[in-house]
Amino acid sequence: MLDFGLIIKQMPAILAAFGVTFGIWIVSMLLAAALGFLVAVARRFGPKPLDWLLRAYVEVFRGTPFLVQLFLLYFGGPYVGLSLEPIPVALLAMTVYGGAYFSEIFRAGFEAVPRGHVEAAECVGLTRAQILRRILVPEMTMLVLPLCVNMAIVLLKETAVLSIITVPELTLVIGVIGSQQYAFVESMFLLALFYWLLVELCGVLGRWSEAKLSRFRFAPS
Amino acid sequence: MTPRLFELMLWAAGATVLISAVSILIGLAIGFLVCAARVSRTRWLSTPAAVFVSFFRGVPLLVQLLLIYNLLPGFGLYVPSVVAAIAGLSLCTAAYQAENLRGGFMSVPKGLLEAADMVGLSPWQQMRRIRAPIALRLTLPALINEAILILKASSLISVVGVVELTRMAQNLAASTYRPLLFYSVAGGLYLVINWLVAGGGSLAERMLKKERA
Amino acid sequence: MKRRSVVQALVGLGLVLGLPLAAHAQDALERVTSAGVLKVGTETAFAPFDFIDATGEHAGLNVDLFGEIGKEMGVDIAWVELPWDGVLPALEAGQFDMVGGPATITKARAERYRFMPPIAEATVALLKRADDDSIQKPEDIAGKLVGGGKSSAQLAQLKAFGESLPGGVEVREYVGNNEAYADLAAGRIAAVGNSLPNIAYVASQQPDVFAVVQPPFGTKSYFGYIGTKKPEDQKLLDAVDAAILKIKADGRLAELQKKWFGTAFDTPDHVTDPAL
Repeated sequence: MLDFGLIIKQMPAILAAFGVTFGIWIVSMLLAAALGFLVAVARRFGPKPLDWLLRAYVEVFRGTPFLVQLFLLYFGGPYVGLSLEPIPVALLAMTVYGGAYFSEIFRAGFEAVPRGHVEAAECVGLTRAQILRRILVPEMTMLVLPLCVNMAIVLLKETAVLSIITVPELTLVIGVIGSQQYAFVESMFLLALFYWLLVELCGVLGRWSEAKLSRFRFAPS
Repeated sequence: MTPRLFELMLWAAGATVLISAVSILIGLAIGFLVCAARVSRTRWLSTPAAVFVSFFRGVPLLVQLLLIYNLLPGFGLYVPSVVAAIAGLSLCTAAYQAENLRGGFMSVPKGLLEAADMVGLSPWQQMRRIRAPIALRLTLPALINEAILILKASSLISVVGVVELTRMAQNLAASTYRPLLFYSVAGGLYLVINWLVAGGGSLAERMLKKERA
Repeated sequence: MKRRSVVQALVGLGLVLGLPLAAHAQDALERVTSAGVLKVGTETAFAPFDFIDATGEHAGLNVDLFGEIGKEMGVDIAWVELPWDGVLPALEAGQFDMVGGPATITKARAERYRFMPPIAEATVALLKRADDDSIQKPEDIAGKLVGGGKSSAQLAQLKAFGESLPGGVEVREYVGNNEAYADLAAGRIAAVGNSLPNIAYVASQQPDVFAVVQPPFGTKSYFGYIGTKKPEDQKLLDAVDAAILKIKADGRLAELQKKWFGTAFDTPDHVTDPAL
């Protein structure tokens, strides 16, 4: 019933699309993590009004579907003078969306670091920057790592939606090949397999780095 | 935006809420079963459950929906659009809820179960009276989170032919040439719905706590 | 229509709980007439054939014409709305009785599906921005970035035409035509390739924004509704075929064409040897 031969012939195009998916995923994930970290730090150490503003950002981007955010930026943007190309829109949308989630992960991470550790650091006269670098970040890394891996997986799966703004990634390219060859079901199977493998790989890497970083684990207080 | 168009957006939001709510509940039921299978000592129960969780968490919902809609009829199972949408959302959330519940069940204090053994409660009674209520209470925040995720994920079900909030916004944005307006309104409606869900969730949590005290 | 999706959801819930029954190779005409409902798959992003109008209603030639077909056959029409690239897979999966797209009649499609009598011309032309003077004839898109609907016959022709030009063209594939028009208006692409009736309608709706590039560059082709070649579907499709021919013969089709395209088309009763 299923015939994958016709699709396999298109492998070079599929691999190129895989490259697009992978590239957008990695770049936007790093940018989103950086943005999320800055937001979390600003909310912890910044003035109150900034905290409210950033909280609104987090609530709005976590409370609406990524698809709607993408539509708004891509099709609404030109009406307010923001006419970006599909791939920059994809990177920007994924970064801002992921940043909101990452900031909550880091915020929870900061809060989970025992107060005593921070107080002790304050007592011995460490500055805020030093406390952040020497105490908060290393101690929370272990705590937030599994959540970050989860978030990476969420972002990977969201890249499938980018096909709607013409980004030539896996879902778009395999879908097009599927309709050209009338191999609809086969193409969906292949697509499922690609994402599943990537997600499993991501999980394995996550567990591996958790084991590697376990020396930072602190005894629960 | 005319009142008529806003009314259409509200109807579409209603479809989003209804389909999501049904999917969450069905997903919770399936999640219970998968969780039970997952923690079972029988290999041929726990392995398929683990594969189920891995598959539905590892494949984008978009792809799952298309597979359900276009593949199952090939096996003689006719799945209309709304059923495909609910099935896709339910199975996806079931995989996540099974994992949440697993965490909940593992946190049920051992002592309670030993005590239940002592007073002679059957395993079924232990499940109904002790383990399930405690696990549910522990996983309530995660359940609320899941509900919000599914409400947002339902924006994809138009690929199997269901008109919901996002699709309605897309249609009306095209016919009125006002994408900024309609996508903003759609975003606003999602926000309101999710705030209500989150608010309801924390209310339920507080009530459960009070009941306990 | 929206009220219906809520009702559909409830019915759907019932079906999920009751486990959907296996659909067997029952004759489609019997099934449709006994249920009194013909299920038609379509995409509501194909004005003026099929779209959601500014008041939020499902409108277009498809809606009117299937209204007539329904009268002829004594059945109601139930629309299933999908993105275009999902319509043919869903037809093959048996999600609806036929496609009211309509689709351009091509050799490859005619091999796989059964086409109903043509209902309009489908020859491909280009839509450009009204203020863009750099495109005066179709060949002027050489070296430019253009767009078209994903998995559409128009896109395939646009690609082939682009390859024949010096410097070629870069083609972007959209899930829906409306998104391609929006991107053209936003200036991200230089032109959209779609059939003349479609883009003529779009240009007439927004003459300040869009203009049609004359003449059409594509091979002369026609739009037809699609059914499968499954044996159990043939009697039903015969009936639809007959209904369309009757509607055409008594002048109702020409009237509808005038209503939606401003002009009536001279279409053959059947396309036996598609040029594409």
